[in-house]
Amino acid sequence: MASLGYYLLLAAFVVCAYAVAASVAGARRRSRPLTDSGIGAFYLVAAIMTAASSVIVYAFVSGDYSIKYVARYSDSVQPLFYKITSYWGGLDGSIMFWVFLLSVFGSTAVFVNRERHRELIPYVVAVISVVQMFFLFLMIIHNNPFETYLTENPADGEGLNPLLQNFYMVIHPPTMYTGFVGLTIPFAFGMAALITGYLDDSWLRAVRRWTMISWLFLSVGLGLGMIWAYEELGWGGYWGWDPVENAGLLPWFTATAFLHSVMVQERRGMLRVWNVTLVILTFFLTIFGTFMTRSGIVQSVHAFGEDPELARLFTIFMVTILTVSFGFVIYRLPLLRARNELDSWMSREAAFLANNWILLFSAFFILFATMFPTLSEAVTGERLTVGPPFFNRWMLPVGLTLLLLTGIGPLLAWRKSTLVNLRDQFLIPVGAALAVGGALVALGVRVWTSGICFALCGFVLGTVGQEFWRGARVRQQATGTDVFTALVGLVARNKRRYGGYIVHVGIVLMFFGFAGEGFKQDEQVLLRPGQQAQVGDFVVRLDAIRETDDGQKQMITAHTTVFRDGAEIARMFPAKWYFRKHEDQPTTEVAIRRSFAEDIYLVMPAFDLAEQSASMEIVVNPLVNWVWVGFGFLALGTLIALLPETVFAFAQARIPANAVTTSMLLLSLVLWPAALMAQGGQMVAPTDRSELQRRLESDILCTCGCQSPMGSCPMRPNCGHYDQQAARLKAFLAEGKGYDEVREAFTVEFGSQAVLAAPIDRGFNRLAWLFPYLAALTALAVVVVTARRWSSRPVAVAAGDAGLDPALSARLDDELRNLD
Amino acid sequence: MSHKAVKVGLTGLVLATAFGVLLYSTLGESAQYYKYVDEVMVQPDAWYGKPLQVHGYARDIRRKRDSLEWSFELHREGHVMRATYTGITPDTFLNDSEVVLQGTLTPEGFQATGMTAKCPSKYEPQIGSAAGTAVSGTK
Repeated sequence: MASLGYYLLLAAFVVCAYAVAASVAGARRRSRPLTDSGIGAFYLVAAIMTAASSVIVYAFVSGDYSIKYVARYSDSVQPLFYKITSYWGGLDGSIMFWVFLLSVFGSTAVFVNRERHRELIPYVVAVISVVQMFFLFLMIIHNNPFETYLTENPADGEGLNPLLQNFYMVIHPPTMYTGFVGLTIPFAFGMAALITGYLDDSWLRAVRRWTMISWLFLSVGLGLGMIWAYEELGWGGYWGWDPVENAGLLPWFTATAFLHSVMVQERRGMLRVWNVTLVILTFFLTIFGTFMTRSGIVQSVHAFGEDPELARLFTIFMVTILTVSFGFVIYRLPLLRARNELDSWMSREAAFLANNWILLFSAFFILFATMFPTLSEAVTGERLTVGPPFFNRWMLPVGLTLLLLTGIGPLLAWRKSTLVNLRDQFLIPVGAALAVGGALVALGVRVWTSGICFALCGFVLGTVGQEFWRGARVRQQATGTDVFTALVGLVARNKRRYGGYIVHVGIVLMFFGFAGEGFKQDEQVLLRPGQQAQVGDFVVRLDAIRETDDGQKQMITAHTTVFRDGAEIARMFPAKWYFRKHEDQPTTEVAIRRSFAEDIYLVMPAFDLAEQSASMEIVVNPLVNWVWVGFGFLALGTLIALLPETVFAFAQARIPANAVTTSMLLLSLVLWPAALMAQGGQMVAPTDRSELQRRLESDILCTCGCQSPMGSCPMRPNCGHYDQQAARLKAFLAEGKGYDEVREAFTVEFGSQAVLAAPIDRGFNRLAWLFPYLAALTALAVVVVTARRWSSRPVAVAAGDAGLDPALSARLDDELRNLD
Repeated sequence: MSHKAVKVGLTGLVLATAFGVLLYSTLGESAQYYKYVDEVMVQPDAWYGKPLQVHGYARDIRRKRDSLEWSFELHREGHVMRATYTGITPDTFLNDSEVVLQGTLTPEGFQATGMTAKCPSKYEPQIGSAAGTAVSGTK
């Protein structure tokens, strides 16, 4: 069995090599039979990889533990479903799965485009085959999934890591891989266009759809990963800026940028070098992401030493990709000249350009911060790390700017917007933003980042709503139907545009959910049966801790009841599971009560059966479900954009929109259980604190050295320093001091503002607040002014500049040339 | 060098500087040293009060009754450091498990404000290597 699998891999490698040779030779000699045989070989690789996949799946299902990979990632008690999915549970198998997906995807793409882009196809086949050869080579010499034990075979396997025995974790990796793998197709077409010199826009048409499909898979994959982290890892959040997460996000940013800038090339014939660059970068980042997470380079450079072979092979491959592809870009520069110039900075193409720069900046910033520990060690010898706060601090303004541009872009006209149409277009969206902002101020929402985010959400929704409304009105007048039919017809007529707007709605909903993070409440308490704890409006009572066993695992479950305003709203059962053979790695089973307003999220990380106590983490996560709903809209919008013309006749009926509303309503009903029961029991900490005290606790630092505000001091409830600070605060409050007076009093007592979490917003301190924003604005102004001046004056192309990264400076040059 | 090249260079320089200054100022506040226990304990007083992440193996784990206060030893290659942590610990926090602590070193020991456990995950190339991601952690 194992040798069959191994020989299949070898055969795939040889056939791949033939596919490269035959298709390139066929294209150069203009020999149709030779090219066709290359394409045939390419299809054959997909068949061989399917066979090899069947072999390994069969080995898993039949429990062939003579194969090391099978023994490591499955065991006999595992359910069939997880046995099959163990295929991609480890490194070697996931590389094989990668090649399998790539061969299937590639064959489909080649089959679909074989007549329409006949001149490109041989090179598409060659490029994809080379990528496949790299991964096959990796498997054959280094990570062979069919490797067997030399001597004795184990009687049973070790089993898949329990954390991965989760539905989302089963579908998350293949979704991500499909997204990653799919991004090879645009790269292959881009390279084929560069090699052949057929650089009109036809290659773009071929890859637009493939990029969109891959982008959809990547987005859904990221969303599933977030849900998995939220439900399985039990720290109450869904995104921790972990290198593995970041690896998936990097190509997502560049692919998003490409999907936008491709429109500029289609409409205006600009940004041609830029688009090729984005396609290459996106592919490069998929490989780099794999390299980053698999070779161990990021976790610790010491781990790098543990698989230097893999890291070396990847490095060679990545350097080759960059050299060859950018070499071709430079070689073909004369054919990539822009056909138009940027007419005005008040145009849609300029908005797209800004959006592209920000997306690219996000990708590079995340790359930099993820690699920072490795970089700092390489440069200074000291290993320095940056955590989630650093990422959030940078990505928060970047994300809000992107959200703003999402609203602005569609309002600007191509080429140039006049003042009159600016006023017409911006009136409603700006009004919506102001209304939301005003309402929030009136309601007393004081988390300003979330407030800005909500207002921007209002702005973008205003934009999208206006676009739909105006389009529907025009169509209604033209066709004489009712508004609703006109709306469906409108979407059907221009699926990409209106599908795109629905994706924007999804993005808005996600940001709406992200903004809820600003109102998150989190407490850690130790409870005994009968005791209860309060977090926000909710009271959680522990009723009992029970132990059960289902044969595969032992389960310790906390039985809890949750009350709101004295009424019982839910029973929740956070648990800890001890899987057989993985007793030292218990999994924490989170209990979540979902609703659109907020989630109550209960974790029981530790317990003591003898003394019947449980440590509980109680988290109230407002609005978090909107993130998932946003992903749903994103997928819906992308699917609409992807629908073939013929299919859309089906959607002319009104069902889809109604079905969405109905299912939403049903969902919300299901998620809002409302049983009423009386509440009783003895209260334990956290104790009552007034609103003012809470607010001050988040503004005044604890002195224990944790550098956190008192309210979030991680040493609580056993921090002596916190107690002292709290006593001071209470004394000041008892004297009748208000918010500002208390802050003053603390400043006087400690002799400086160092005790405050943020400097008092006054006088010189304002500079500290303003400086970063001023610096950013100045830089922006300088860029706009200089770029404007150049865009009106055609000047000869310049060479690169010293002191800049050559690749970056080449891109900068290309970009600026496009503006000329 | 042509006129445009100078302009492009200057813009690049301005952008890079603005970006660099912003990055430097935020990095200064957010960056933490990442050290192994044995590296720190060679000369512990040099590290007092600095933002630090220490990487080592836990042992002698104790929890104060009726609380979330943990006290344990972190060791690696013969060097040992006492550490305390209050809060919820990752599932894989057990004797001999590999952990990374965030916090500050004081003469009494390491006061951890955060704990991340290294645990074997699917991304790990070989058994026992550290390439696995820290899937579980307190945030």
